[in-house]
Amino acid sequence: MATTVVTSAGIASEAPRSDFGRILAQRERRFAAALLAPAFLALLATTTFPLLFLVYTSAFRMDLAMPFTNGFVGFENYQVLLSDERFWTSLLVSLVYTGSTVALQVIIGLALALLVIDMKRGQGWFRVIAILPVVLSPAVVGMIWRTFMLAPEFGIVDFLAINAGLGSKNWLGDPTLAMVSVIAIHTWQWTPFAFMVLLASLASLPEDIYEAARLDRASAWQRFRRITLPLLRPAIVMVVIMRTMVALTAFAAIFTVTAGGPGTATEILNLYAYRKSFTELSIGYGAALAVALLIVTIIISGILFALRRAK
Amino acid sequence: MTAKRLRAIALLAFSMVFLLAWAFPIIWSVLNSLKTDSDVLAYPPKLVFSPTLEAYRDVLFGSGSILPNLLSSAIISVGTTIVTMLMAVPAAYALARLRFRGKKFAGFYVLATQMLPPVGIIIPYFLVLRNIGWIDTYQGIILIYLSFSLPFAIWLLVSYFEDIPFEMEEAAYLDGASRLKTLWLIIIPQVRGGIAVTVVFVFLNAWNEFLFAVVLSGNTVRPVTVAMFNFVSVEQTLWAKLAAVSVLAMLPVVVLGVVAQKHIVKGLTVGAVKGGGRR
Repeated sequence: MATTVVTSAGIASEAPRSDFGRILAQRERRFAAALLAPAFLALLATTTFPLLFLVYTSAFRMDLAMPFTNGFVGFENYQVLLSDERFWTSLLVSLVYTGSTVALQVIIGLALALLVIDMKRGQGWFRVIAILPVVLSPAVVGMIWRTFMLAPEFGIVDFLAINAGLGSKNWLGDPTLAMVSVIAIHTWQWTPFAFMVLLASLASLPEDIYEAARLDRASAWQRFRRITLPLLRPAIVMVVIMRTMVALTAFAAIFTVTAGGPGTATEILNLYAYRKSFTELSIGYGAALAVALLIVTIIISGILFALRRAK
Repeated sequence: MTAKRLRAIALLAFSMVFLLAWAFPIIWSVLNSLKTDSDVLAYPPKLVFSPTLEAYRDVLFGSGSILPNLLSSAIISVGTTIVTMLMAVPAAYALARLRFRGKKFAGFYVLATQMLPPVGIIIPYFLVLRNIGWIDTYQGIILIYLSFSLPFAIWLLVSYFEDIPFEMEEAAYLDGASRLKTLWLIIIPQVRGGIAVTVVFVFLNAWNEFLFAVVLSGNTVRPVTVAMFNFVSVEQTLWAKLAAVSVLAMLPVVVLGVVAQKHIVKGLTVGAVKGGGRR
């Protein structure tokens, strides 16, 4: 028994074959199971069970407005989906929305972080103000933009457009402008997130490499291209992954602003699944759309994680 | 030297534009909430006006007061926070400090649950809650909020539990303290700060949630994010009141955000360092 040492957290023993060690390890397992049980039961009930029930539901015709047509249809919802033009449009809108908002957030966020990191004074202002948009509810953000920023004439954006000689625009009524607007709103709210993460990451980079580069007379661009960018790569990839997942399932900031309109101009796949289920009350088909969204999410995150591992 | 100076000024101006762009919509809402409707609608927009608290008085104490909705938001957020913390603290401790088979898988599972799009959770849950009569109930909405608050809280807490030195626990065990007692008396006090930060973020996320709330709300449960729609209808928009409600909905989260300022990057990126994650 002399070899039995309680190393860490009462965890067992350098000689696990001894009885004492085995009993300790067993007790630890039981304790862990008891501690994990409530949270894992809750997660099973609120995530795994809904997933299974979602897939099950997608095999049914379930129309709350016309319950007499309900019944098992197998893969029919998916067959319909593949030839549903509105589905493909919404997928395209999703990809445009996600691609453009993520690219804008990273580019603007990085540019701003590079600017601010060299500031002698005023960094504190950026750190505080950057917090404001990201803690707000996207629903409130959407509402503010829809009214006080984008309303014709007295909305500030339209006011600026008029003064810039562009004339008053129907920001949310024109399909293209509506798309630009919802992209701008999402970018407004979440660029500070990219900015804060990249600024924190920049601040942690080792100073001496830059000293060496300066001694070697590397230009600012070379320093950025050869030192900063490679060192920041993990942080940038992380931001891209996180923001992509959120943008794919963005809801409130589009729902409150355009509700997917005009027509289906800003209807991302997530919103289409919602509208089909809860506005048009076609829950079975809505479930199939949600499964499609899950598959798209898995494929895109798979690609992004592969990118993260590469190099 | 002048070129350098010119560049510095240009950069300063450029960064000021961004600062203003981020702060402006919020400042503008605050200003509009202090105006009368005709001042809100004035063209060109008025920066100077005689401020009034009329809009606040109306939305708080007038007919169709949003006080019940603010209360609803508070009940949902506090309820979610309490239930989440009761489950997440023990689970996070186990994941961070104990040794058991399947630990890696358990951690991965917590992360993977976040891949599921919220709309994919609400469709089946709407059917279930409708069957058991839990639409428009607090237990229904708090239950479903666990789907995003639990994984988040567990991962954030794990990072704090991992920072405690093992020696603390060892000493307690050698003194013959039970595991539960050690967890309660020795470990938990060590992560008080981490628990406080987690509480802030769980509350914030619950306060801000919209999709689940809009599907599950009714006459009893109607958080302020949903009730806001009462002020914009096809016929008319109640401009100043909408501004006042927006400001009231923003107030708690802005205060919490500024208080938790130093932890915000960690709170926003939790889980991502290890795998995937959202929010």
